[in-house]
Amino acid sequence: MIGTVQTTVVIALVAAAAGLWFALPQRLHRWRMLSSFAATGALLWLVSLFEQPGSEIVSRTLFWLFSFGAVLCGVLMITSRDPVHGALWFAVATLAVCGLFMLLSAPFLAAATVIVYAGAIIVTFMFVIMLAQQSGVNAYDQRSKNPVAALFVSSLLLGALVMTLINWRGVGKPAGERPAIGVSTEAGVHALSVPTAAAPQGSLYALGRSLFGDYLFAVEIAGTVLLVATVGAIVMAPRRAQGNL
Amino acid sequence: MTPNFDPYLAVGAVLFVLGAIGFVTRRNLIVMMLSAELMLHGVSLTLLAFGQIHNRMEGQTFTVFVLTIAACEAGLALAIILSLYQSKKSLDVSLWGDIREEDLPARALATEEEDHAAFEPAPLVFPGLTPAGRVPGIDMDAPLDGQLIPTVTKNDGKRFTYGEPEEAELTTKP
Repeated sequence: MIGTVQTTVVIALVAAAAGLWFALPQRLHRWRMLSSFAATGALLWLVSLFEQPGSEIVSRTLFWLFSFGAVLCGVLMITSRDPVHGALWFAVATLAVCGLFMLLSAPFLAAATVIVYAGAIIVTFMFVIMLAQQSGVNAYDQRSKNPVAALFVSSLLLGALVMTLINWRGVGKPAGERPAIGVSTEAGVHALSVPTAAAPQGSLYALGRSLFGDYLFAVEIAGTVLLVATVGAIVMAPRRAQGNL
Repeated sequence: MTPNFDPYLAVGAVLFVLGAIGFVTRRNLIVMMLSAELMLHGVSLTLLAFGQIHNRMEGQTFTVFVLTIAACEAGLALAIILSLYQSKKSLDVSLWGDIREEDLPARALATEEEDHAAFEPAPLVFPGLTPAGRVPGIDMDAPLDGQLIPTVTKNDGKRFTYGEPEEAELTTKP
């Protein structure tokens, strides 16, 4: 049984790498959409190994919808010849990932990610693209560096990740032989991060209790990092001789 | 029965690897930074799925920090990209291969001419228009010189018009 799972993983990885090779910018630039869809299908085939029968049909449908959107938009983003199109595909991929966040019962993080990524980061990227790239099509957008070596190494990486997950969860074995999940429930270790009946997983109260209870110093450090990054960005950003932007 | 969160881990791994491919293969600095953000999405998804599997809040808490660092990273990266663009007038990362370590082998960097030689521009597709008016009777096989009517731009003081030249203009301007 494990043998067939491994064969599936290898076949899906080879198919995904071949599709990505055809889709990446290089001399052969036909069939980009077709090969992007093929690569997405192969990658989702890998994901489908982890499906278990008997899950809820609604959440499963939503999961496949959002993961298809995320993976397809990711593929189209890294293969787009135009950085503006790449940024827009990234925005759509962000929305799909936020849908997955909602399914993982993290509504606050979904909203925050939409605001921060689709709202702020994409707009900033667009500003830089418009500022720095006014001359239409560029040759360096049409060629990729070492696509074969990169695809080989990243296929190895993805194969290692997926095989680790498969071995950890016992995918492919009958339900009785799957290893149990190790849930760390020792009391006292970051006890505020354990969801309770009053603060269930996914509620904003539980997130705030964990964030400002167990991880208060980390929040302070994150704020300092934000301040330092802001100062650094202002110092490093180029300016004209007059002193203004 | 408990929901199955394993596929989310697989999607996180796939997004991470897609971002890695984009970061390594693309040569545009901005697309490289977008690929790094895609990798962060994969990491966030994995953190949230592990948080759900272990039924603890750390997954969501750490994702908040990932979001914070992503915002810092985007701001700093864009400032650096603008500085780099100011000095070389290009977003090509291959132009910066000469700041590598001394003992690293020199990667064969494509020059601008080689890029353009290897670069086949995508065919330009213009919107099709419904043909209107008379089809000009030009024989495409014969040489075009005798078939075309020369036209000149005239200015009568108020506006420019476009038409056939007068006889005098033809003699002065061949």
